[in-house]
Parts: sequence; structure tokens; C-alpha cells
Amino acid sequence: MIKGIVIVNNSGKPRLTKFYQNVSGEDRQQSVIRRIFQQVSTRPDNFCNYLEGSVPEWGENIKLIYRHYATLYFVFAVDSQESDLGILDLIQVFVEALDKRFENVCELDLIFHSDRVHYILDEIVMGGMVLETNINSILQAIHDQEKMHTDSMRKAGPSDSLDAISTKLGAGRNW
Amino acid sequence: MSGMHLSSEFFELIKAIGESKSKQEEDRIIAKEVATLKRKLESGSAGGGGGGGGAGGGGIGIGGPSLGYIPGAPMLPGASGAAGGNALNTNKKKAREFLVRVLYVEMLGHDGSFGYIKAVELAASQSIIHKRTGYLVCSCCLSPEHEFRFMLVNQMQRDLISSNLLECCGALIAVTNLITSDLVGTVSTQVMGLLEHTAETVRKKAIIALHRLHQLAPDIVTKQEVTEKVRKLLCDRDPAVMGSTLNVIETLARVDVQPFKDLVPSLISILKQICERRLPSEYDYHRIPAPWMQMKIVRILSVIGKNDMACSEGMYEILGECLRKAEEAGINASNAIVYECIRCITNIYPNPVLLDAAGASISRFLSSRVQNLRYLGVTGLASIVERHPKYAADHQLAVIECLEDRDETLLRKTLDLLYRMTNPVNVVFITDRLLHFLRGSTDPYLKSDLTTKICNIAERYAPNNAWYVQTITELFRIAGDLVDPVVATNLMSLIAEGTGNEDDDEEADMVLRKQAVELYVNLLSNPPNRMPRVLVETLAWVLGEYGYLSSVMPLDAIIDGMCQLLQSGSTARLGGGSPSTRRLILSAIMKMVAQYGSCPAAAAKVIDDYTKSSDPDAQKRCLEFQAILTQSPQLLVEVFPVDASLEDVEVDINLSFLDGLVSEAISNGARTYQKQEDDEDDYVNAVATQTASAFKMTPYEKPSEKAYGHGAMHGMGSSTMGPGGAANVALPPGNPSGAGSMPTVSSPTNQLTNPGEPQLVLRNVANVWGKQATPVAVQPAPAPFASSVSTFANSTTAPAPAGYGGFGSSTPAAAPPVAPVKTAEQLEKERLAAALFGGISGAPPPPSQPASYRPSAIASPQLHQTISGPVKSDVRSAPTPAPAPVAPPPEVDLLGFDMDTSTTTVSHTSSVDMFAPMPMVNEPSHAPPVAAPSPKPAAPPPAPADPFAAAGLLDGFADSAPLQPISDALDSAKFEFGGSPIAPLTINTPQFGQRWGQCPSTHPISVASSTRSNTLSKFMELCVRAGLHKVEEIAATNEGIAACMAGGGSSVALVHGKISPLPGGASSRVDVTVKSSDPQLGLSLSMYLQNMIR
Repeated sequence: MIKGIVIVNNSGKPRLTKFYQNVSGEDRQQSVIRRIFQQVSTRPDNFCNYLEGSVPEWGENIKLIYRHYATLYFVFAVDSQESDLGILDLIQVFVEALDKRFENVCELDLIFHSDRVHYILDEIVMGGMVLETNINSILQAIHDQEKMHTDSMRKAGPSDSLDAISTKLGAGRNW
Repeated sequence: MSGMHLSSEFFELIKAIGESKSKQEEDRIIAKEVATLKRKLESGSAGGGGGGGGAGGGGIGIGGPSLGYIPGAPMLPGASGAAGGNALNTNKKKAREFLVRVLYVEMLGHDGSFGYIKAVELAASQSIIHKRTGYLVCSCCLSPEHEFRFMLVNQMQRDLISSNLLECCGALIAVTNLITSDLVGTVSTQVMGLLEHTAETVRKKAIIALHRLHQLAPDIVTKQEVTEKVRKLLCDRDPAVMGSTLNVIETLARVDVQPFKDLVPSLISILKQICERRLPSEYDYHRIPAPWMQMKIVRILSVIGKNDMACSEGMYEILGECLRKAEEAGINASNAIVYECIRCITNIYPNPVLLDAAGASISRFLSSRVQNLRYLGVTGLASIVERHPKYAADHQLAVIECLEDRDETLLRKTLDLLYRMTNPVNVVFITDRLLHFLRGSTDPYLKSDLTTKICNIAERYAPNNAWYVQTITELFRIAGDLVDPVVATNLMSLIAEGTGNEDDDEEADMVLRKQAVELYVNLLSNPPNRMPRVLVETLAWVLGEYGYLSSVMPLDAIIDGMCQLLQSGSTARLGGGSPSTRRLILSAIMKMVAQYGSCPAAAAKVIDDYTKSSDPDAQKRCLEFQAILTQSPQLLVEVFPVDASLEDVEVDINLSFLDGLVSEAISNGARTYQKQEDDEDDYVNAVATQTASAFKMTPYEKPSEKAYGHGAMHGMGSSTMGPGGAANVALPPGNPSGAGSMPTVSSPTNQLTNPGEPQLVLRNVANVWGKQATPVAVQPAPAPFASSVSTFANSTTAPAPAGYGGFGSSTPAAAPPVAPVKTAEQLEKERLAAALFGGISGAPPPPSQPASYRPSAIASPQLHQTISGPVKSDVRSAPTPAPAPVAPPPEVDLLGFDMDTSTTTVSHTSSVDMFAPMPMVNEPSHAPPVAAPSPKPAAPPPAPADPFAAAGLLDGFADSAPLQPISDALDSAKFEFGGSPIAPLTINTPQFGQRWGQCPSTHPISVASSTRSNTLSKFMELCVRAGLHKVEEIAATNEGIAACMAGGGSSVALVHGKISPLPGGASSRVDVTVKSSDPQLGLSLSMYLQNMIR
């Protein structure tokens, strides 16, 4: 199973964390993130995308499978059941889905819309198991959900005009 | 995209965090943010309270004390519904952002618990996004014990039966994340119901949720229920549902495979359909049909097929097809499938054809430039070599290259591979490598893993004792903290006992001891800055016992060195400097003083210092030693017997040596001793009655664990020191005997009052306590496997000096990647490869050690014999002399290894059969090992004996073939295959042409013929004599064709020959092509003809 997913940027700041096998306690969660970052960040990009070793919170024999995109590391911690190359492709699917949803996804999107990122992830991985890998189905589910949301908002009343900040955000996209 | 409902505050916060320079600064910023959020919560809910009603607002306002809030929880949806309108909408939106910020704060490791209640509230929202945000924050932040989880149950129940499928989905995800084992019963019915939902997206989530519930509470959602549902959903009309169900099947099957065995045909059929692209194309990923489903099915097959021949046989075909199709695509996703197929093929009941295919894929991975594929190649190779070592030989250089890679992941995998392919020939090289990496590694997990591995292979395959001692000592030095204490015990018992042979080669044992002493003396004279405890203690024991054997340093210098070590004040050099370690060093010094015969000043000082030690044990030892030294130094030798760690301790349990003392006392008027049995009984009775007399109502307390623990700790020292402990038992009190002398601790008064006759008292006490004193003298039965191991080691070691000889046959196969002109670097690599792959092709790992191997080693000394068994596979001790490399000894055959690779050049294809001990499941059932005699294509010229005359005639091979003159061979040369002669196949030329195209296997040969077949007619005659039917002879072109069949027509072979006269001579070149429906037949026939023509 997939024990957890961590997205962390080049300077070690977590951008998304998801623990499928529970790690209780803020401190222990932070130590997992730190450990993962320390391990992946020291590896040049031409190394292989696997790291075997220990994340004590999840037990021994945990494999970290990761991809490095520009400023972000997408790290999946899995046990020996999962397919090594399969997970790499799964990360790719996840990132493609994010990219389609956020139109050129950047690091900021992950923070500002961490909830939406979670929903996309929920369509791909559920309870540590690979739920769906078909990118169209994933996006369709997200789309349906947002459509329903806007519909219900419209029914409730005209929605507020976009906050002025959103334009400002656009400027910060590459930051 | 809709809705960037974010405030500038959040933006500023993230910016500030992104720019913060230190953790402290970040913490400050977050603390400020937390304060802001708390303020918001209060004011925001106050606003909400204005719209929705005082009670709710007040509840939220209190915030922290959740107890006060819980009664209001079921009201939540109502409250929010009642508020309604625009104000609430804005509020909800703000609330969502508020929660996203809480999530962010939590992700950075700060406490956001003040906001959880808002999340619970939002989960009850009408809007799907708000609802999911609520659930999300709860599932990310609430600890499993958090009481808010209870508050969500009601909401989840409602959403699970909602008519809106998105709400169902949201609730299913929430169930998976939030339900705890005690809550399973509240939602299981609803989840079960959703398995029948009309929407596939709900069904596929429901099955995973159900499995999760089963994991949490197997008594409520039983395995039977889940299994039943899973089997149904596997046949769901929607492939996506099937896909998610596969996950569950795999996980369940890993726990218990039995209920899924009968699914094999269904799974195979599904996999077949996927491979044949019968799924809608939307499931394609980069044009590979549903790769994840393929992988999952292959993985499930692997679980089911393990150790199950019948199930495995059903899979072979589809696995082959799946592998072949995936190999064709050659992209990442298809490689993933290939890799799963490799794992499956090596895991299930073996099939030679599939194994070869897997081997080919592995070599493609290994030779790839893509690092990920190399990693998979090494992993795959590791999984295949353990059972099929021959595959390793093809990839020597690739493995060596991986060893030199900078990527630690790859390196680790390669080390694992090395470990798995260790054999008696390459053990020295591999251990050296592993030690090298252990030295450089810092990762604790890797270190402990490597340490265990080194211990294992060193014990299993050690070529001789000296090497073993040296290796283990080096291991102690590098990673002593991680070594199992038993290893130290084994090492010391090996040094003490030597080979342990019946004929007791004392000389060899002394050489070993001497080597060990010199090793440790060197260590003592240049001590590393940090010495692990086990190293220090072993050092102390070895030098203490055998220091007098040292030739590199005089004994008094060693004593000085030990004193320095003890006094240096560096606890790092003393393995942490625990009292028991210090005691051991003191013991060693005392033992050496006894050996030396007088006490050097340094030792005297140390001992004097320790008489004031705060450690009572050490103090007592030193005091007693001083007493012996000053009062009766002649006792020293008796107290510290030389090399007596294995001597039996004679114990006089009747205390007869006290008789003199007793009679003297009696004669002096003392009263004779009266046994007080009656009194004792009375006493016991009294106690018994007391116990019964209602004073003590409860049972006595058990002795506390602590007390045992303490004892154990004491014992630890002794068990660590193993035979040292045994030695100590023999020593009188006041002797240094390390931690081993529990008795001295137990009866200190006794000893202190009797300093004059120390050994007497101690011997008795030792008898009572010392379990080490079990009769050492009893000669152990020779370890059953020791002898076989030694012969094994001998026979396999033989080819080693031949360099490549060790893996003989396969060398040519591996050679092609090497450029014709070898650089020095390449040569070096090949040298490494030779060291590494020595013995690979012929030496599968020996049988695993008996179970009793390790644990029993601790207590009883005689078992050490067993332990030293594998390491004593030394040439000296071996019963048979090492055989010459060229003539394989008979033992080899007994062991079932094919070792005569060093004498013959074996064609690669045929070697498959030679080595394959497994049944050839997929092979046509035509033959006893047909190809066995065939792999000698080029018989050496001096003995042009014709092995192929006897091809298939295994029995007659030895006595007839090699001796027969050629002409005789020709006459009797009917070619036989599968034990019976081939039959002429009577066909005409058009039929021949037709069959020619249908035969899959082709074997061309080209031979310069002797006069025997230098013309077409002679060639055709040869064919006919061999048993072929002459189809046609075309003199115009000098071509001829012939045909035959074997196995009663089950296979056919077609022969086409062309004779080209060579200029100016009687000889001519004969080009023959043999085509056959059976590769084995074709190969044998072509080789046969080749020989005949020549």
C-alpha cells in the first residue's frame, strides 16, 4: 500500500502531506517530512527515483519513490507491494491532473488550493490504494464536483466578485 | 477555473514563510497567524451568531471546551440551514479559507486544534466543496482518538445514503479516512449498500472503503463478506470498478491466498482481454492498455502461484504473452509491466522458458542507461539468482559497474544482490566489498543490514578460520555496536577450540590463536579513536587468554598497553566504558600478569587504583588479586591456568576437602553437625499454616521483572564472553574472571573471610551456579553438515585460481559487450568480475543451516563445535585433498552440481538444460535430457571420438563412443534422438518446401569436409545412413535435401546441404542447414552431421 504522500519544495517546506498509514502527533509527522526531504534532496536528478530504507514511523522496508519537478519533490512512500515504475507513472498522472486543473500548475496553487489538490488526490489514491489512473475520469469527477458547487452557490445567490487578490496572485505565479 | 477566494492576508503569510530565513522566524510568523485565525474564529462566529442564533454562536465562541459544544452538534445542519442567505454564504466561503489556512498551519507542524470545530461544522454544509473541506481538514488533522470523530458519524451516515452521488463519494472517502475501529458498525451497512450503486465512481470507492472497514474491525465486516463482494465486483461491468477491486484482492490474498485460488482462470481471462486491447481505449496509458490493471493482475498471480505448481502452470502462457507484448512497447509503463512479470516468474513455480525470457528482460534493464531500469535490473537479478544462480554469470560487468555507481540506492540493491549470490568461491571478495561499504555508510538501517549480512556469509562460507577471525574483528571495529553478541561468542569459542576436530590438530589451532593475538596486539598498539564494546571485550579476552603467544610484542608491553587503554580516560575507546568492560580488561591484565610471572609496575598501579574503585566487583577482584600476589604468588598459575577456558571444572559436591578441617574442629571439641530436617519441616509447616491463617489473602507478588532483568544483565556479561565465562568458573575468588563470575557476587562474605583458600570455596560455588560448567569434556558428535560443507568448499574452490574458469561456460556469452581492445579499466573490471562470479554457474547456495544453529550457541560450550563447523572448511582439516581443477571429483556429482564446465566449452543455449534441475514443464515430452551430451560441438582433434554417435544414448556413451574408430562409428552411425533412432520421412520436394517454411528452428552449419563427404553423393549417403530419407539430389547445383522424423512423427527435421569444392584439393566445404519443428532435435542433428562430415 501507499503509506503516505508528501510534496515538499526545494527548501524543505511541505506543500502537501497525506498520511494513509496514520502517524499520530505533529512532531512525528514533521520528523517524517524532514527525513523524507533530507533523503531525497541530497540526490542528484540523474540518480534513480527510488530510495530504500527506513521511515521508522511507517516501519522498515519502506521505499520512497519520488519525482522532482522544478521546485517540488513529489514523494510517495510505499511498501514492497507496490510497483516501482507503476508509482512513478502514477505521480506523473497526478501531476498531469494538477496541471490540467490549475492550468500550468505552480507551487503556489498547491498552497492556496490545498483542499482542491487533496480532492484530485482523493480521486487517484484512496486509503493507500490506487483508485483510478485514467486522467479523464479523474478530471471529470473534479469537474462534476465544482459544477455542483457553483450551481448550489448560484441558487443561494449571486456569488461575490472575485477578490482583488486573485489578480495579484496571477502576478505571483512564478514566484 | 473558478474561485480564487483568497485573502491578501493568506498571500502575505505564505510569502513571509517562503522568505523566512530560519525555523525560529517561521515559528514566529506562524504564531502570529494562529493568533489571527483565533481572532477570526471568534469574531466570525460572533457574526454568524448574529445571523443564526445566540446559542450556536456562544458555543463556538467558547471554542476550546468542546464538551460544552457537543450537545449542540446534531443541531449544526439545522442551524446553518436556518441562517441561510447571503451573509452565511460569505461566511462559509470565509470559513473554507479559514480551514485551508488551518490546514497549512498544521502542515507546518503547529497546533491548529482551535479550528477543528469549524471543520466539523463545515462538514454539515449544503455545498459539496464546503462539505468536503470540512471532511478533509478533519481527516488530516484529527488524531484517531479525537472525540470530534464521533461528531462526524451522524453526518457521514446521512451522506452515505444521499441521493447525490458526489456526496456519497465524499462520504466514502471520509469513511476511509476517519472511521476508527469502534465506529465501524455505524456505517458498515451503508457502505455495503453502496456496492450496488448505479454509478461506477461510487462502486469503485465503496469496495475500498469496505476493505478498510474490514481491516479496522474484522469481526464486524468479516473476511467472508468482503471476499464474497470482491468476487462479485471483479466481474463488474465497469472496468474501473474491477481495477479498484484488484487492489483489495491483492491485499487479501497476501494475508490468505486460499479463497482466491479458484480465481486464477478469471484473472487470466481478464489479463488476456486487456492484453488483446479489448478494453475501451480510454484505459490506455501512453498506448499501453491499462498498465496498472495488468500490473495488479500479474502481482496477484504471483501471490497465488507461489509454491503452487498446478496454479502456476495455468499462468505460464499468459505471463509469456503479457511479457512479450510489454517488451515490444519499451516505454516506462510497459517496463513496469515487464518488471512485474519478472517478479512473478521468479516467484511462482519455475518454468525454464519463462525464466529465460525474464533473464533476457533483466539483461535489457541492466544494460540500460536509464538509472531506474538499472535499479530494476539489479533487483530482478537478485530475485532470480538465489534459485537460479546461472543467470548472474551473464551480467558480471554490469553488476561491477553498478557497484561503482554513485547512486546509493543502486549500490544498496547491488550489495543485496552480492549477498544473495555469495558462494564459497567469491565470499572473500564479496565480504571485502560489503565491509568497504559498511565503512563508508552512515545510514543506521543500511549499517545494521550490512552487518547482519556480513556475519551470515562469513559464518556460512568462510574459506578458513584465520580469515573468519580477521573478518569478524574488522566487522567489530567498524560496526561493533550492531553485531549480535552471539557472534563474539562464536569467535572466541572458535579461537579457544580451534577446528574442534576429533584428531585435534593442536598445531593448527595454535597458529590460529597466534594470528588472532597478533591481530589484536596490532589493534592495541594503534587503537582507533572509537572502539565498540564488543571489540574491546573480545580484545581483552583474546589477549588475556593467549597474550603469551604474541611474537610481535612482548607480554609486558601488552600488559602496559592494556593498562594504558584502561587508564586513558577515553570512554569511546572503551566501548562506552561500562563497569563490566573495565572488569574484563582488569581480568585480562591479571591473567597476563600470571602468564608473565611477575607484575609490571603499570599493572600494579592499575590494580591498586581499582582497589579504590566505586565498582564493588572490580574493587573486590583487585583486592583479592593483590592479596594473592603479595601473600602467595605461587598460586597465580593455579588461579589463572593457561589456555584453560575449555577445561572441565572438577567439582567435589561432597565438600570432602573440608573433611580435614571438620575433623580438626571436632577433635578440638566442636559439636558434630546435626541435620536439622525435623526443624526445617516444622519451619516450613509453620510458614504454611501462617499462610493459611487468613493473614495473607492475596497471592504473593511475583518477583518483579526488574529483579530478573538485573540478573540477566549480570549474566549478559558472561554470555557475551562465552567460553571466557567457562574459564572464569575455574578461577578462584579474587580472580579477575570478568563478568562471568556470578558466584563471586553471590557469596562475597564467604570469600572475603577465606582469602587463604580461595579456590576451594569458589569451586564449589561455581559448581552451584555455573551453568557454563556443563561437561565440556564430552566430545560433541561431529556436526552433521560440517563435513559435507568442507568437501563442498574444497571442490568448488578448486576452479578459483583459474580466473574465469570459475564461471567457465558463460564467459564467451558475456564477452560481446566488451570492446575487442580492452582498456586497463576494463581489465580491472573483469578481474573484479572474475573474483565476484567465481563459482556462480556451478554453485547454488548450500542448504540452509540447521535451525539449532544460532540460539543454542549461547549456553552450552559443546555446541560451539557445531558453530565452528562451517568455518572450519579449511583445506587442512578437510578429509579429502583438494581435487585438481581439471578432473571434477566424484563429490561434485553427488552434490548435483555441474562442475565440469571448466573442461568443456559449452554452447550457451544447450547449457540451459544442463543446469536446469527443475522439471521442464513446457517442454514437449519427448526426451530424457537429450541435449546433455550434445554440448561438445568441437571435439578436441587428438581424440576425434564422436560423442554424437551416441547422442541420446546416454548409457552407451562412456564405454563405446570415445574408443570407437571413426570408420566404425560411421557404420553404426544411425542418428538417434530421444533414445530411439530417427525414421526416414518419405516426402517429395514440394512437400519438403512446404514444411521448410513451417519449421521454427534453424541450425546452419558450415564444415570443411574430409574426403568422406566431399561430394554430393557421399553427403547424401551419409544422410541416408544416419536414417534420413533422401528427398532429392540436385547434381547441377550440388545441392541435396533429406528429411526425417523422430518420436513417432511428433517432430520432423529437414536437411539441406550444399557442397562447394574448395580450390585445388580433395576437400570441399559443406554448408548444411537443418530445420526442425523441435529445436533440440535440430540442434542435435546439426551437430551430429557436422561431426560426421568432418
